[in-house]
This record gives sequence, structure tokens and C-alpha cells, in this order.
Amino acid sequence: MDKAKFRIEIIMFIAAVILAVLFFFPVFFSIISAFKTNGEILKNAIAFPSKLYLDSFKYLLTETDFPRAMLNSLILTVVSIACMIAIIPMAAYAIERTGKKWTSYVYVYFLAGMMIPFQVYMIPLFKEMKTIGLYGTLTAPILIYISGSVGMGVLLYTSFIKGIPVEIEEAAAIDGCSRVRTFWQIVFPLLGPCTASMVVLQGLGIWNDFLMPSLILHSDQKTLIVEVFKFVGELASRWDLVFAGTTMSIVPVLVAFIALQKYFVKGIAAGATKG
Amino acid sequence: MANAETIHAASSKGLSRKKKWFSYSVLFILPSFILYTLFVIYPTLNSINLSFTSWDGVSDKIHYIGLDNFVEMFHSERVYNALKNTLILSVSLVVLENVVALLLAVLVDQVRWFKSLFRSVFYFPVLLSGIVMGFVWTIIFNFNFGVISQLLDRMGLGDWKIDWLGDPNYALLAIIITTVWKGSGYYMIIYLAGLQGIPPELNEAASIDGANSWQKFRHITFPLLAGAMTVSVMLSMIGALKIFDQIAVMTDGGPGFATETLTYIVYKVGFGELRQGYGTAMSMVLFVLILIVSLIQIKLLKKREVQM
Repeated sequence: MDKAKFRIEIIMFIAAVILAVLFFFPVFFSIISAFKTNGEILKNAIAFPSKLYLDSFKYLLTETDFPRAMLNSLILTVVSIACMIAIIPMAAYAIERTGKKWTSYVYVYFLAGMMIPFQVYMIPLFKEMKTIGLYGTLTAPILIYISGSVGMGVLLYTSFIKGIPVEIEEAAAIDGCSRVRTFWQIVFPLLGPCTASMVVLQGLGIWNDFLMPSLILHSDQKTLIVEVFKFVGELASRWDLVFAGTTMSIVPVLVAFIALQKYFVKGIAAGATKG
Repeated sequence: MANAETIHAASSKGLSRKKKWFSYSVLFILPSFILYTLFVIYPTLNSINLSFTSWDGVSDKIHYIGLDNFVEMFHSERVYNALKNTLILSVSLVVLENVVALLLAVLVDQVRWFKSLFRSVFYFPVLLSGIVMGFVWTIIFNFNFGVISQLLDRMGLGDWKIDWLGDPNYALLAIIITTVWKGSGYYMIIYLAGLQGIPPELNEAASIDGANSWQKFRHITFPLLAGAMTVSVMLSMIGALKIFDQIAVMTDGGPGFATETLTYIVYKVGFGELRQGYGTAMSMVLFVLILIVSLIQIKLLKKREVQM
């Protein structure tokens, strides 16, 4: 009986290893290819690099707009998330704690946004951005990211705030704490796990976004992913360079994932089951 | 101290306290409300308006042409083709992603060694950009120098080589493979959360009654995963309807129109051919489709809540 059980365990383990190799291969392939010359990739795609070839990285960092694009991606991600955290938890808190009819209408109004795909409103949105003169600036995508995250953010935060006892806030009010201070000094720190989910979910979305920044930003302000896409078109025959680009976009995500693994898994699970 | 006094004064007069509460609520909600209304709701309503025009996206003049865009759409072979591709893509992705995700979840849940490492590896592709991984898969699928072709050559099976992205018969399949690889880990996490919510006593009791592994899966695990499955199926459906990045980088809708989906045609017509009025009209169809799926999802989830 035990022997049979052990055999099943071995079979399962082997199946898991095979699947893991299949799942990790494209990432591995991208990273090893970044350290190979173009000729090496064409000759033997799967082999390890014969020696550490770093010229592709050097070329990307010195001869192209890649460093600028990385900086743009970073600015967009950090500023958008900071603004989201500044306004969305506050709105969710007011909606959840006021609990009046009008706030429940506001709640439904916000949630409706989750059902609208970006493609539906992108064309009028770009027109609007042109009218107010933000088209082509970094401000435009930041505003679009914040607005687009209101629905999901309010949903996540209201359901989390529900689980926090009101008594703490009441005590603070009796002690003379203003509502703004009560929120930022007492409630907000308790929302940590929810904020972590939000940062991870939205951060990834912004870092990896392609369609919107590729259309709204001028060519000298591209983001990392838009730049990689440009390489695919322009340097179609220079796989070594494109792979160096893809690797540089993968590595920050890999590092963040290894460092903050539990937030990534929990954040995505929370976003999925609530959304 | 001024605060303490105002609170005290306010609480002695219930009405003014209520008023104060109200104005704070408004103040807290207002920033989100303004941004969301300006940059989500207003353009959405405006797109209904634009779908009745022949606007090109550049000129200042906008001409209203009534229902012409919709009439053209319903007579367009290309639109029907895009609808067909969207349908094939959605159905195969929903089935494959959920089957693979369920398999991975059971495996990760049951495997004895390196559980969390396996989970991370299966999940990692979810975090990467569709553009970046679409490019990597383009190279894997490449006919002349791609990984698959090189492997087949080395095994002496050169005749089996397929021009994945250049052959209209295989291009959509290549997109499906890439998306299943990239997306399954996400749904695996949902199933895994479901699996971990099943009380172990149920399986133990079944074992004592002599049930084998398959019977336990069929009669205990599977029915109890129904909630996770509802969420996962609906999310993968919406995800499939919105798929964009992989197509942009791998095929650009081609060869011919072989991989052009509804989402992609909106982009191509609107920005490639500068017919933004027509593009918004098409996006309305996409909107209706996603709305229907979302409403079904809400209905199903509500029903489950009642049952539980």
C-alpha cells in the first residue's frame, strides 16, 4: 500500500518537473539568448552561451532610447500608484462607513467601470486628451491609469474595510481626532494587506501595459514595453538585441516577484475572487 | 484641542454633526469621482456618439452619418471573420486554460516536494508582458531558426516543421498556445485557493469508505470547486475577448486576416486606417459582448451565494 502511494508521488513529481520545464523554458530561453551573438542564436537556439556576450546590453544602453524608456516606465508606475493610494482608499472608506443610499449608488457607479473594456472608450478618450492639451505628455497615461483603477480599487478596499471594527474610529473621534486624521493615521495603516494587493496588481498592469502608452505618448517618451515592441519591428533580424531588451524588462519583474512573492500570489487571488 | 471642541460642539447638536459627516464623505469621494467620470464614463458615453460619425481621428469636422457604420459592419466579411476568430479564440482559451489550470492546481496541491517552487514557476508567466513573451514565442515558432524547428531538425524530423505564424491554418493555434502558457497560472491560483478550502475530513472519510483517487476527485473535489470554476471561466472568457498584445507582436492580425479579432480590428480600423468613427462602432459590439458575459457572471455568483 505504501509502496503504491510512493510510486504515485514519484509520478506526480516527475509530471510536475516536466511541466515546470515547459513553463519556464521561454523565460530561460529569453535570458540565455540575451548573452549570445545573433549567429549563435540562429545556429543553436537552445545551447548555453559559449561566452558571456554583453555587447547587446551595451548597445541598448548607449545607442538607443532604452534607458529613457525604462525611466519613463518607472515614473508612470510609481506616480500612478502613489496617486491611486492617495485617493481610492479614502473614497472606499467614505462609501463603506457612510452607508447611506447615495453612497451605495456611488459604489455601483464606480463598479460599473470594471465592465467597460479600454478599447470601448479609448478613441474618445484620446480625442478628449487632445482637447485638454495633455495628449503626448506623461500626465495623460497617469490620469488614465488612476481613473481606470477606481472600480477595482473601490471594490477591493470596501470589502476589506468592512472587516475592520468601527469601535477604533469611534474611540478616536471621542479623543478629538479629526476625520481626515482618523483615516490616515488609524484606518489606513490597517489596510496594509489590501494596499499591497493593489500595488502589485496595478503596478504589474502599468509596467506591462502596451496599447495605451504606444498610442498616446510621443516617440521620444516611449515606455519600456513600447520600446521593445519598436525593436521587434526595426531590428527584426537582430534577435540578440531584442532579447537583451526583453530580458531587461523581465528581470525587474522576476526580482520583485522573488522578493514579494506572498503579496503577488495573495494580491492576484484577492483581485480575482473579489473582481 | 480645537478639534476636540468642535467634535464636542458638533455632537451636542446632532444635525450639524451629520452635516459635517456628509461633507467629509463628499470630500473623500470627490477626487475619485471626478477622475473616473472625466476619463472613463464621459469617453464611454462619447463613444456611443462617435459611433454614428465618419470621423477619421484627425480632422476637426465630424460628420454624422446615422447608422451607416453599423450597416457597413453587418455587411462586412472582415467583421464576420473577426467575430469568428474571437469566438474560436474564446472557446478554446476558456476550455484549455481551465483544464490546464485545474491540472496544475491539483498537481501543486498534491505534489510532495518543492510545492511552492512549482507554484511560482507555473505562475510566473502571468506577470510578464504579452508583448515581451509574444516576441519570445515568435522566435520559438519561427520556421527557419525557431526552437521547435531546430529541435525537429536535430531529431531528423525536418519534414514536420510548420510555419506556425506564416500559415493561416496554424497562426491562431500559435496565439492560443502562447496565451494558454501565459494565462493558466492565473487561473491555477484561483483553483488552488478553492482546493485549499476543501476540508480534508471529506477525503479521509471517502478513503475509509474505499473510494479511489478518481472517485474522490469526481465526487468531492470537483463539485466543491464549482465556485472557483465559475469565477475562473468568466474571467478567462473576458480575458479572451480582450486579448491584444500577443496578436500585435506575433501576427499583427495576419497572415491575411487569420488572427484578426474584434479587439484587434477596432485598433486596426481606428488607428491603422484612420476610421475612428467606424472603429468605435465596432467597439460597441465588443462592449455588448463583455457586458453580457459580466452580467451572466454576476447572476451566477449571486445564485451561488444564495445556495451557500
